[in-house]
Formats: sequence, C-alpha cells, structure tokens
Amino acid sequence: MIELSNLSIHFGTAVALRDANLVIERGDRLGVVGESGSGKTLLALCLMGMAPESARMTGQLRIDGQDMATASERDWQRLRSRRVAMVFQEPMAALNPLRRVGDTVMEPMVLHDGLTRSAARARALSLFEEVGIPDPDRRLRQFPHEMSGGQRQRVLIALALACNPMLLIADEPTTALDANVALRITDLLQRLARERQMALVFISHDLAAVARATEDIVVMYAGDMVEQGRTAEVLGTPAHPYTKGLLGARPDPGVAGRDAQGKRRRLPTIPGAVPPLQGLPQGCRFAGRCPVELPHCAAQRPAFVQSDAGRAAACHLLTEGRHD
Amino acid sequence: MKRLPANFLLGALLVSLVVGVAALSLVWTPHDPQAMSISTKFAPPSTEHWLGTDQLGRDVVAQLMAAARNSMTVALVAVLLGGSIGVGLGLLASALGGWVEDAVMRLADLGFAFPALLFAIMLAAVFGPSLTNAVLAISFINIPIFARVTRASANQIWTRDYVAAARAAGRGRFAISRDHILPNIAAAVIVQATIEFAVAILAEAALSYLGLGAQPPASSWGRMLSEAQTLMYLAPQLAIYPGLCIVVAVLGFGLLGDGLRDITDPRLVRAR
Repeated sequence: MIELSNLSIHFGTAVALRDANLVIERGDRLGVVGESGSGKTLLALCLMGMAPESARMTGQLRIDGQDMATASERDWQRLRSRRVAMVFQEPMAALNPLRRVGDTVMEPMVLHDGLTRSAARARALSLFEEVGIPDPDRRLRQFPHEMSGGQRQRVLIALALACNPMLLIADEPTTALDANVALRITDLLQRLARERQMALVFISHDLAAVARATEDIVVMYAGDMVEQGRTAEVLGTPAHPYTKGLLGARPDPGVAGRDAQGKRRRLPTIPGAVPPLQGLPQGCRFAGRCPVELPHCAAQRPAFVQSDAGRAAACHLLTEGRHD
Repeated sequence: MKRLPANFLLGALLVSLVVGVAALSLVWTPHDPQAMSISTKFAPPSTEHWLGTDQLGRDVVAQLMAAARNSMTVALVAVLLGGSIGVGLGLLASALGGWVEDAVMRLADLGFAFPALLFAIMLAAVFGPSLTNAVLAISFINIPIFARVTRASANQIWTRDYVAAARAAGRGRFAISRDHILPNIAAAVIVQATIEFAVAILAEAALSYLGLGAQPPASSWGRMLSEAQTLMYLAPQLAIYPGLCIVVAVLGFGLLGDGLRDITDPRLVRAR
C-alpha cells in the first residue's frame, strides 16, 4: 500500500534521510524510534507530502501504487486525510485557538467527502465517542483552551480519522502529555488501528509506548534506518549497537536502578549527540559514537543484513560475525 | 479585571465623541450647514449660533458637524477599500510565497516610495479635483501599508502547527488563508486600520485644504481651514474650530490604535 524504496531527502548537499526502504500494509502497526534529529519527523512529513520546500526527494514513495515522490501539492491534497493522516506532537499548538474544535474536525469531511454540515456533525459526534471524548455534543462547540491536553489530543485524533484514512501517522503524540494520559492515548491509537484495520506509524522516543502500541519497529539514527523487525524481538534482543544504546539509556526507577548501597546509579547514556548533517561520516553514521566501532566503519557503509523472519540491521559487526 | 490602558480609554472617549457627532449630523444639525445669511455674518457665539457664524453667515457648529460626517465617511471608505485590497494581496503573497511574494512586496515598496499628496494631485490633474478622487488617493496609499502588515503577520501564522494540521487534513492554501490565517491576524490588522483611520482623516483635511478634496458646498474641516486662512486677523476662531476638530479626531483614533495594540500584544504591556 505504501512503499518506500531508496527514498532520500536532500537539503543542498546534506542528506537528511538516506535510502529509506519500508513497506506499510493495511493493519500494520509500525513504531519509529530514535533520538531527536534522527529523521523520524522528516520521514512522517514525507509520508504526508509535507517535507519543507527546500527539500529534494530522490528514490520512490509509492502510495496505492502511485509514485508520490514527484507529485504536485494538488495531488497530495487529494490523498491527505483520505489515505494518509497525521496526529501532531503538541495538541495545544495543533488546534486553531479561534476555531471551535467541532468545526476543525468537520472541515475535511465537507471538503473531501462532500458531506453536508449536519452529516459531518453526525460523523464528528460518533468520532468523538469513538476516541473517548465524553459529552461530545457539548465538546464539539468548545474552543481548544476549554479542553485539557489529553482531550485536545483526542480531538486531533478524531480530526485525523475524519475521512477514514488507510494510514495514521502519530508524530510523538504523547510527548506533551503527562504519563498517565500518555498511556491512555497510546492504548487508544493501538485500539483504533486494530479495530479499523488501519495502518499506524507511531513515532516516539518512548520505547515503552512503542512496545505497547506496535508490532513492528524501525530504529533510526541520523537519517539512516539502522535496524528493523518485530518490536518485541528488536527491543528484546537488539542487534545494532545504537539500539542497544537506546535501550540502555532508559531510566529505571526500581531496584535495578540502584547500586548495592541503595543509591541511584547515573543514567547510562550514549556519549555525544547526533552530529550535524554536514559532519556525518561517509560510512556508518553511528561511527564516532559507537562503543564497538571497527576501523573501517566510518568509511564504509554497512549493508542491511537480513537475519531471521523479517529482521534486519545495518552494522559491520553482523557481517563480521561478531555478536556481543 | 485587568485595567485598560489610559491611551485606549482616552482614545475611545475622543473617538466616540467625534463619531457620535458625525452620526448625529445625519439626523440633526442646529441649522442647515449650507444656509447663508449675510446680515448675520461673523456673528459671535450666542444661544442661536453656539460658535457664531462665518463670513457668509453660516452656522459654524452645523458646518463642523457636517464636516465630521464627511471626514468619517472618507476615512472609512478609504481604509476599507485600501485595507481590503492590501490584506488580500498580503494574504496572497504569504500563501503562495516565491516570486508572487517577491513581486507583491516590491510593488508595495514602490507604493511606499510614491508620495501620497503627489498621487492625489496627479489624480486631480487628470480627473479633476473631487472627494471621490481624494478617497481613491488615500485608499491607494493604504494598500502597501496593509499588504506589509498582513504578509508579516501571516508568515508567522503559517509556521504554526495548526496550519500544518489543516494541511494534513488536505486543505488548500486559500482555504487555510481564509479560515486559519485571517482570523489569527485580525488583531494586528484592526490595530493598523485604526491608526490608518487617523492618517486618512489628516490626509482628507490636507487634500481639502489644498482644494483637491471636498468641493463647495460640501463641508470639510480642511476647506473650512483654508477659507478661514484669509480672515485670520478678522476672525481667528473660524480657523481654530476646524483645527481643533482635526486634532481631536486624529488624536482620538491614534490613541485608540495604540491602546488596542497594547491590549492585543501582551509583550508590550509587560514591558511597561
């Protein structure tokens, strides 16, 4: 349904997304994880045809068999909301403060499906119920500032579902919410994708949320997809050093997070930060921060190595047969 | 309840005074503003003529009231006409970007570079002096001002997440401009309109003073000033009254605009 083959995004000479290969079918639930600056959001915007205007796209992005990498804004407008829809990170910022949330949610229904106002209203009401907004009749007439963060995120999910898309992209949908609400939004997205047989791309740096909501996972680093496979397997037995680093860098509030004297251990981190796009090594982009780097890593690009049942990772250690 | 700034309150007071008088002149003036009576020319203030009469025996209060109405009408039409064209161009520039934006903004620069008075004189030379031409000239100078303010504010709104969300919902640039951009820049545009209203009043007075605006027998503060000028030593009050009216109207709208800006821009209020 959606197929990326060797899709790259260039900004001038910098390559912000390098040779992304991905297939998303109806009903798939895919997690995308990685640090800030790893290209997760850019990937999401690409799938919406909303990459910045200065971006140049190479490779193929097929939606329903049609190559959209070179499509016009008008072609994209027809796909958005009906085939691909998106939930944004900041529920406060993603709703027009001067518009009643009901009007916002009804907009795409009138636009794409040609619904009358009353038909759109009826659909908005049932959507509000589906995403768990109590008293939808009253809520439809409210302004964003009258709602809590969790409610606003539910409104945005209802907006994304307005025209029954085949793919829902959630770009860090829980980052701006407190932990309890985040959990419920995660479960809601997972349930909606299952019930509607809709594909879900769940972008997050919260590994626990990704594990909860998705079946498959892609790990990204500095614009490269470094590992992919079933979520449980990748997070359970990570193959790429970067995935291992990510998993090691989770805070643990329990006993495991304390040393023998009961004091808190320092949180393990991956040293350094994602380098700027201009300063990336030619080969593996993780070279320089990698704890188990080989001499040729920085110069030579590792191939994607398929292992068992759809798992793959791009690391020289795997081809050299050195697992540790 | 937050206290409203003093400039807003004073501005609102002066504006309601001027607008109230202009509105009242539609239904009532103490005398016919055009009725001449040579026998009672240069009459001093009395219960019959509150501010006396002019060189033709016309009632000064009635003339000032009629002039207020003319002045408000000219300013309103000029700001609405120039403003809506300017806002439209600004929104278009912001929505399309690229060469359209460049072209609109360079045209705006050109409009700025052209002195308003010169443009009015040119219009008067070609089509003859009239109030309509004065309105057109004032509208014209308002276009680039509104285009700039609109484009600058709109460019900010285009970067907001809710605009991205509207795009993600499949809406086009023009629908987004109408439903999301325009309501969110309305405050800035209204502030600008109020200030330009003051400028338009002044411009109308200046053009009428030069004989390029309101033509006899229509009343205008600017024309009353120019007629009184020759009688400065004989009856200085005839120049002082319209002059005061212009000051009150311009000051009122200027203060109101500043006050509105203080209210709608929270950063400025906190800086006080």
